[in-house]
Amino acid sequence: MKTRLVVILSAIIAVMICFTGSAFAEEGVTGTEIHIGSFGPQTGPAAPWGAVARGSDAYFKMINDEGGIHGRKIVYHHFDDGYNPAKTKAGVKQLQESDHSIFGWVGGVGSAPGMAIKDYLMDRKVIWVGPSAGSFAWIDPPQKYLFPTYPLYIVEAKALVKYAIETMGKKRIAIVYQNDEYGKNGLAGAKAQLAKYGMKLAVAIPSNLSETDFKPHVSKLIKSKADTVLLWVAPGASARTIGTAYAMKFKPQWMATSTVSDYPFMYKITRGLWAGVITAGFNEPLDADVPILNKYRKVFAKYATKGERWGTFFVAGFGFAEPLVEAMKRAGRDLTRERVVTELENMRNFQGSQGKVSFKPFDPNDIYSRQGQQSIVIFQCLKDGKTKKLADWVAPGFDPKELMH
Amino acid sequence: MLEFFQMIVSALAVGSSYALMALAMVIIYKTSEVVNFAQGEMALASAYFTFMLLEIYGFSFISAFILAFVFSLILGAVLEFAVLRRAKEPNLLGLIIITIGMEFIILGLVSWKFGADQQVFPFPIGPYDSIEIAGTFISNLELLSFAIAILVMGVLFVFYRFSKMGMAMKATQQNPIAARIMGIRTKRIMMLTWGISAMVGCVAALLTAPILLEPFMMWGPMLKGFSAAVLGGMTSLPGAVAGAYILAIVENLFGGYISIEFKAVVAFAMIVLVLWFKPSGLFARHYVKKV
Repeated sequence: MKTRLVVILSAIIAVMICFTGSAFAEEGVTGTEIHIGSFGPQTGPAAPWGAVARGSDAYFKMINDEGGIHGRKIVYHHFDDGYNPAKTKAGVKQLQESDHSIFGWVGGVGSAPGMAIKDYLMDRKVIWVGPSAGSFAWIDPPQKYLFPTYPLYIVEAKALVKYAIETMGKKRIAIVYQNDEYGKNGLAGAKAQLAKYGMKLAVAIPSNLSETDFKPHVSKLIKSKADTVLLWVAPGASARTIGTAYAMKFKPQWMATSTVSDYPFMYKITRGLWAGVITAGFNEPLDADVPILNKYRKVFAKYATKGERWGTFFVAGFGFAEPLVEAMKRAGRDLTRERVVTELENMRNFQGSQGKVSFKPFDPNDIYSRQGQQSIVIFQCLKDGKTKKLADWVAPGFDPKELMH
Repeated sequence: MLEFFQMIVSALAVGSSYALMALAMVIIYKTSEVVNFAQGEMALASAYFTFMLLEIYGFSFISAFILAFVFSLILGAVLEFAVLRRAKEPNLLGLIIITIGMEFIILGLVSWKFGADQQVFPFPIGPYDSIEIAGTFISNLELLSFAIAILVMGVLFVFYRFSKMGMAMKATQQNPIAARIMGIRTKRIMMLTWGISAMVGCVAALLTAPILLEPFMMWGPMLKGFSAAVLGGMTSLPGAVAGAYILAIVENLFGGYISIEFKAVVAFAMIVLVLWFKPSGLFARHYVKKV
């Protein structure tokens, strides 16, 4: 009796092994499906950035409508982590270790949430393209399977400081930064660029993600006599800071990251105070008449749920996913992670809806073998949330040695 | 010196929202000894309800605000009646955990119905208009909040001290069985307590929302309000308000002079200190329950 059971069980296991061998060429890929994962806050103080995950959803639906990728449809899994790294890690592990598993990850909002899963994904050799944060940590050191395309916050900060000093003739730069990986990247970039002019920050003020009272921060800004203030905080915190400053009659030139470059939205929630703010940007203005945005606008009209806006982050969801889809198309029907890595490494000046994307063969000593995009645009918000382009695709350049200062 | 005054003024401004939330929590605690962690989200729901009336249905401010109070009264009463009272063999810890569950459910519902993006809440006075007094700034909204916090405290104080209903509420807390023997309908009192508490929370939310209406906005004031209530002794209304302003002042001075980075944890450090040295709070009379 016992031996018969063993024989039957062995037979079942043998059959299962045979089937898995033939049906699954690679984790997360079947004969008809490719499983792609993402995460982002749909709730909590960072929720406006969560539109990235929904934008990628619309983009993948478009790709599926066009016939998918070599006969396979993309099955897209994303979840709400509330910008809480603990939840990000739990959710990513759950999806990665589920029955269908995940072939590759795309987007994923936030430096701190992303940091929580970077090592996990890299240890498992899982591809991750276009994390939705310009954190230096993605490429410090470069990782073979991690392909960031978001311009570095350090580069954004450098470009903004450069513009403030060289073009606008500003003298005293201050920064309010979120007290985490994201904010500290902005701080590092600003310091590095100021060091080139032999200057220092007038004041650097940390702020916590859930902070709602910015009077102490603004008081410190006033005391510092800054003529320009960089904001490296979440959209709500940016709005509160500017509002509090207005109430305290403090009116410097505000500058901020691409994360608050959704002008119609920022203009609305600041009740108009966003006019005049200068920010970095990683795509063309959303109302620009360019073919790729016109195409995406139709996708938006078809797939976006009620209440969704044609906003910077929704559209960024398309942009962060473009290089992965392009590489999967180039890799052909026999889809493996190694092939996709090779195709990404061969990518030169790939033009999607954002800046040009280039990678190089993996070199642990060259951050630019993995940092796909290096240039940004500089925008200014005008009345009614309209966009004015102040500088077109600038690349102030960045050498990690600059951080030594 | 000017800087110091500005810090105190800023503290009094932000302290008002802590004070209102502290009052709301104390009202429920006074009657049932339950710490209601859903307080912030109940207030949030009322704010979004008002937003819906104003933005979507075009109600006037007066009618929208009155309806908001009615809504919050009903919301509080319904939650007590439909959720808390249904708990089988309730103990305090169980009830507190139920309130945490309610908090997440309400937060989820609000985010689902209205989205997670920040919204602009219409309000009769601009949230960023301010006045300057001798070099220090205070916004009109903050002045209004301050006045309302003091007013609400006064009204509640009178209510508890002099009204029959207020006395019944106190009695229910001190000895529910005796209260019932004396003819007090303690269950109805509990329901009403939750209703009144929700209304006070609603006031706090309506004064917080004009800056930015967002699903997360009451989380901070609720935690700070709770800290203030602990500071004030959990059962004392003036204690809760005083606790709120003391907390806000300490927080602001700490942020201004010592470290803005650790300003957020000051409130919790204060709770620990109070629980260490004076567990009954700074203002409550020490009251030992007889076995």
